[in-house]
Amino acid sequence: MLQQMEKILVIGSREHAQRAVDVLYRTGTLHLTDVTDHLSAEEIRLRKWDSEIREKMAGLLVKIGGVLLTLPDIKGQESRWREMYEELYWRETSDIIEEASSIVSTLEERIRELSTRKTDCELRIKAYDRYQKTIEKIRPLEEQLPSLEGFEVTVLLIQTEFADLIPLIEHELYRITRNQCEMVSAEIDEDTIAAITVFNKRFSDEVHSFIFTKNVNEVRLPQEYMGKPFEEVLELIERGRRACREEQDEIEQTLRSLSEKWYLKLSVMKHVLSDKLQEIEVFSNFGQTDYVFAITGWVPARSLEKTKKAISRKFGNRVVIADLVLSGEDLEQAPSLYANPWIVRPFEFFMQLVRPPLYTEIDPSPLLAFFFPLFFGLMVGDIGYGLVILGIALVVKKRYADQGWVQSVMNVMIISSVPTMFFGFMYGEFFGDFGEKMGWLHPVHLFGISLNRIEAILPLLILSIGLGVLHVMLGLVLGIINARHMKHRKHMAEKAGMLAVIAGGILMLASLAGVLPSVPVFAGAIVLVAGLPLIVYGAGAIGLLEIMGTVGNILSYSRLMAIGMASVILAMVANELGGTLEILLLGVIVAALLHSLNIVLAMFSPSLHSIRLHVVECYSKFYEGGGTPYHPFQRVKEG
Amino acid sequence: MPDIGQSLGAAIAIAFGALSTGWAQSRIGSAGAGTIAEKPELIGAAIILEAIPETMVILGFVVAAMILML
Repeated sequence: MLQQMEKILVIGSREHAQRAVDVLYRTGTLHLTDVTDHLSAEEIRLRKWDSEIREKMAGLLVKIGGVLLTLPDIKGQESRWREMYEELYWRETSDIIEEASSIVSTLEERIRELSTRKTDCELRIKAYDRYQKTIEKIRPLEEQLPSLEGFEVTVLLIQTEFADLIPLIEHELYRITRNQCEMVSAEIDEDTIAAITVFNKRFSDEVHSFIFTKNVNEVRLPQEYMGKPFEEVLELIERGRRACREEQDEIEQTLRSLSEKWYLKLSVMKHVLSDKLQEIEVFSNFGQTDYVFAITGWVPARSLEKTKKAISRKFGNRVVIADLVLSGEDLEQAPSLYANPWIVRPFEFFMQLVRPPLYTEIDPSPLLAFFFPLFFGLMVGDIGYGLVILGIALVVKKRYADQGWVQSVMNVMIISSVPTMFFGFMYGEFFGDFGEKMGWLHPVHLFGISLNRIEAILPLLILSIGLGVLHVMLGLVLGIINARHMKHRKHMAEKAGMLAVIAGGILMLASLAGVLPSVPVFAGAIVLVAGLPLIVYGAGAIGLLEIMGTVGNILSYSRLMAIGMASVILAMVANELGGTLEILLLGVIVAALLHSLNIVLAMFSPSLHSIRLHVVECYSKFYEGGGTPYHPFQRVKEG
Repeated sequence: MPDIGQSLGAAIAIAFGALSTGWAQSRIGSAGAGTIAEKPELIGAAIILEAIPETMVILGFVVAAMILML
């Protein structure tokens, strides 16, 4: 069932407007509506709330995020976080923005400079590592290099598979440098050949341009390393790397000290401004004059007192909550919030498959909570399967305790395992016919009929169709009640007519079959015929075609028998196969595998068909949906 | 033991039901997959629509079972 809703108007002096919004946001019970829906321009000329600071706030949040990303996170300050949040939240938004802007502008420049230096150091260390690697590789070639002034050295790294290109490159370099060039190459590992090239500095630009256009990997040593022995170069590299690391440590230290001073405050400011921004997003719903503000919305009846107390505690009687008198039109706009007992609540998850109910119509979730387990139990109908499904549901529920939808689905499975075991007892099934073969149980006899699913096809088919008649007729009755609430006379007539047609048809069939010998056939025919003009009045002549649709809906319930039979036949096949194998262990394994497959199918297929029977066959008789789900104005939890 | 007529009748009942269900569900399934890729919130409706044609094979199975066992 749905929670009763009350519509309220929050009205007060304009100076308290922002604070009132903060209180409502923190209380988190009000589903906002546009104030102009209730207060027309003739009653009070309201302006919309504007927020010039929205863009400023959004920009500031981006800047704070950037600063926080660069500063290292300081642990051990969590206890002060809450206190600082409460203190900041209740300050004026403009004060918070001013302070945050001031801190960010102070830190931004400093952090940018430190960040640039840090990146620079990292790049230099990477370059040093590359030089060191290359120098170490080509060290054995050092003696072969000429030591001439006015010459430049560069190292080309060429993959072994392209070794054929080296003579071509050499030839081209000779041409460019007019033979003032020397190249020495050697394999430095199984994949790479290093070619040390010495050439006249005059041709430096052309040589490097040529190497660049040919996409050859080049390691250019810095000028300060030219002409020096490799040993000395390695020492210089190590010294440079050490200096960079010292500079990095110094930068980290500075960032840490900035973080210790500002991280907590900025982090809290970010959350506060983020919450304030969420509040601002809904400002278009509010109204104001020069002296007062007005906010309207829906509150669950059970939360109305809490909301009123929160406002009166903060403002006394300077801000007032008025309960609004509701018209039928207002009620149609009310949001829907489920208020079901614990046993129905897991089935609300399946209600997400359809649109939320209108506030004025009957909530179908209790219907689902009763019939879903019944249909599930009828289809699966096995004590062993019921126990396994219960076990799996309990284990999965424990394993995924933080996932709401998993909890709902597993609770549905736990509830459905009970009728599964009950019908399993009635059918005499424990892992198919295994229990019966072992002599542990037998199908129950009811009205002279053995409830063995293989033998009692026709009785079970009649039971399934009978359940279908009951379910569809219940849907039609609910449709009549809904139509009465909404004062739709024609819909009422149509559904009453359909009910009469089905009832009349059942009476005729029962009379002809001898089930109700005292009822004459024409009595059923009268009831049937009486329903026809009601259908024509309610839905026109075309509504008569709907009778066939309804008959089809009822026949659809034969799946309760069919799916159950498929399940038990598969279980019997599993037992037969397991039994025919001569090795016991192998037989048990094969049977267990087939039963496992059947259990997985049993969890999925009967669920899907039970839901389908509700949504398509039953709900189509009374359910409109299209309601607004209840979304209170509150902090949206980050993922 | 069912005679050849019963066996043939049962086979036809289930075969045509299964074929038509398979054909319908293949079309619905591929359309549903495309829909869910663009609008994941419609997964519930897609699953329900996918399950609707199963009535055909189930009724075919019921008829076949009735032919063979009654």
